[in-house]
Amino acid sequence: MITAKYVLERLAHSLLILLVAMIFNFLLPRLVPGNPAVTILLSKYGYLNAKELKVIESQFHLTGSLGQQFESYWISLAHGNLGVSYYFYPLSVSAVIAERLPWTLFLLGTASIISILIGVSLGTYMGMKSGQIQDSFFSTLSISLFSIPYFWLGLIFQAVFAVMITIFPVAQAYSYGLVIGPNIPFIFSVLYHAALPLIVLILTIFPVFALLMRNTMTTTLREDYMTVAVAKGLRSWRLVDRYAKKNSMLPVTTSIALQIGYVVAGAFLIEVVFSYPGIGYTLYQAVYNSDYPLIQGIFLIISASVIFANFFVDILYAYLDPRVVLK
Amino acid sequence: MTEVQLKAPGSSVNRFFSFMSRGTDRLRPLLSSLWQNPKSRSGIIILGCLVGLGVIGGIYTPYSPFAPAFADYLPPSWAHLLGTNYEGQDVLSQFMYGTGTSLLVGFSVGVLASIIGTVVGVVAGYYGKIPDTFLMRFVDVLLVIPGFPLLIVLSSYLPPTLESTIIVLAILSWPFMSRVIRSQTLSLKQKQFVMASKLSGMSNLKIMARDILPFLLPLIIINSIFIVVGAVVAQAGLAFFGLSDISSVNWGTMLYWFEAEEGILFKAWWWLLPPGIGIMLLGIGGNLLNNGLSETLGFGEKNSSR
Repeated sequence: MITAKYVLERLAHSLLILLVAMIFNFLLPRLVPGNPAVTILLSKYGYLNAKELKVIESQFHLTGSLGQQFESYWISLAHGNLGVSYYFYPLSVSAVIAERLPWTLFLLGTASIISILIGVSLGTYMGMKSGQIQDSFFSTLSISLFSIPYFWLGLIFQAVFAVMITIFPVAQAYSYGLVIGPNIPFIFSVLYHAALPLIVLILTIFPVFALLMRNTMTTTLREDYMTVAVAKGLRSWRLVDRYAKKNSMLPVTTSIALQIGYVVAGAFLIEVVFSYPGIGYTLYQAVYNSDYPLIQGIFLIISASVIFANFFVDILYAYLDPRVVLK
Repeated sequence: MTEVQLKAPGSSVNRFFSFMSRGTDRLRPLLSSLWQNPKSRSGIIILGCLVGLGVIGGIYTPYSPFAPAFADYLPPSWAHLLGTNYEGQDVLSQFMYGTGTSLLVGFSVGVLASIIGTVVGVVAGYYGKIPDTFLMRFVDVLLVIPGFPLLIVLSSYLPPTLESTIIVLAILSWPFMSRVIRSQTLSLKQKQFVMASKLSGMSNLKIMARDILPFLLPLIIINSIFIVVGAVVAQAGLAFFGLSDISSVNWGTMLYWFEAEEGILFKAWWWLLPPGIGIMLLGIGGNLLNNGLSETLGFGEKNSSR
């Protein structure tokens, strides 16, 4: 049973962490030696200008005492105002993020769902064949895939399937000259452009779930109630599906739910490799152009999504395994 | 016999040796059984080769890893086993030297983070109460805030040197380890020999160093291997993002320049493959060694079920 007390306790915990992330976001530019406005101006233009300095100082809430600065930081946050991007000027940071976030959600969301389906099925199979040749083959394969740096695999797929054999586009999310919207050429172009990054992401995400599922499955199959179920003469698919898989899914659920948080934070570098216009590539552009408001805005959005996902995991887990609340 | 000599109360040097000898006494059977286990043996061999390559690369490379002394994009030949890159640097020399740099970064992060993680974990577990609550809340926060974005934000404000990369990675790598160490310390604290030491009036610091720390050694080793592997991968990712010292030669910067100079259009596979294979082998080696280690120590099953 999920009690209201439990939910509130978890919520308070998540909000506390979010608060820390926000305070960190506020303090970071102020902890760096020197005036951050000067640093930003110099890295952006290479010279100082009194008027520009004033603008940046007020934008970064750098005027007044630290207390006043903190107050104005909170007031803008409460209004959803994350400042103005330098690189995408005159767009605001929130506008840039709102434009780019859907691409990441689409790419990572699709990759996560397919990876989870493949991973859980393969893991179940490996668990059933535990200790046999099939198990060691897929375990080795999974560990190897898991150890590959995904952005490097991305570069290789790009080289092989987009440069050497030109069957997939090299980069971007859709071809130029198309009407953006729900029309068939555009949708086809989006899917076609997403194919390579998707394959790379799936190849490196599914092993995590496969290995985890395999381990919990092996442990579950050794439980006494499984022996009883076999002795009762249950058919084997029922045994696996209803008895073993259901119990093994519990720890896997945690990582599935955490994967939801990493849909936003997970795979920046794949977007960089394929110049895919999601949040990761935007962060890359922001770093490259010293667009500090954008860097910090993206960090805050990502932190908030991951913290929220964690909260969701806690509640979900308590629902699936009520023993958690009692502890 | 030596045991008696070493245990004689005296200089701190003696005490250090007694601690070390107790440590190695416990480690020797562990090492031999690690060699018996096929998984950890292959892990040790893979990691050994990489470390060997890195050490050699630090002392000797066929050509200078920095000097752009040859023609651009030469494919592999007997003179240049792995060809040359966009500036005409010898890729094999870069790879050998870069292996050393990458491993050095990983190892430095591993040592720093393990020290922080162990100290925090032992202190939180041993003292309990307020220090425990305070430290573990802090760990919770660090564990939940997504690592790679935090790494990027921190690095974007710091000077782009390998030192700052090492420091930032060390700061971000210890929390998980401290949690594991803490829970082990909690159960060790209940053991009778710790009670005995307490009753005999041993100081808390001594109890932690002599009674608790030696038993944590296997856990520390397992976790630091993961930290080292994670740090090498993270450094490569950070460099690929352009946020490390990009003039340094390591696996990450090799990939960064490949991407930045669009080596892909020159189909320079000889330049792209080595650094990624290096990272991959490190990951496989580390995982194999850790799997073998967990099997040998007998807590593989327990770990995986949680």
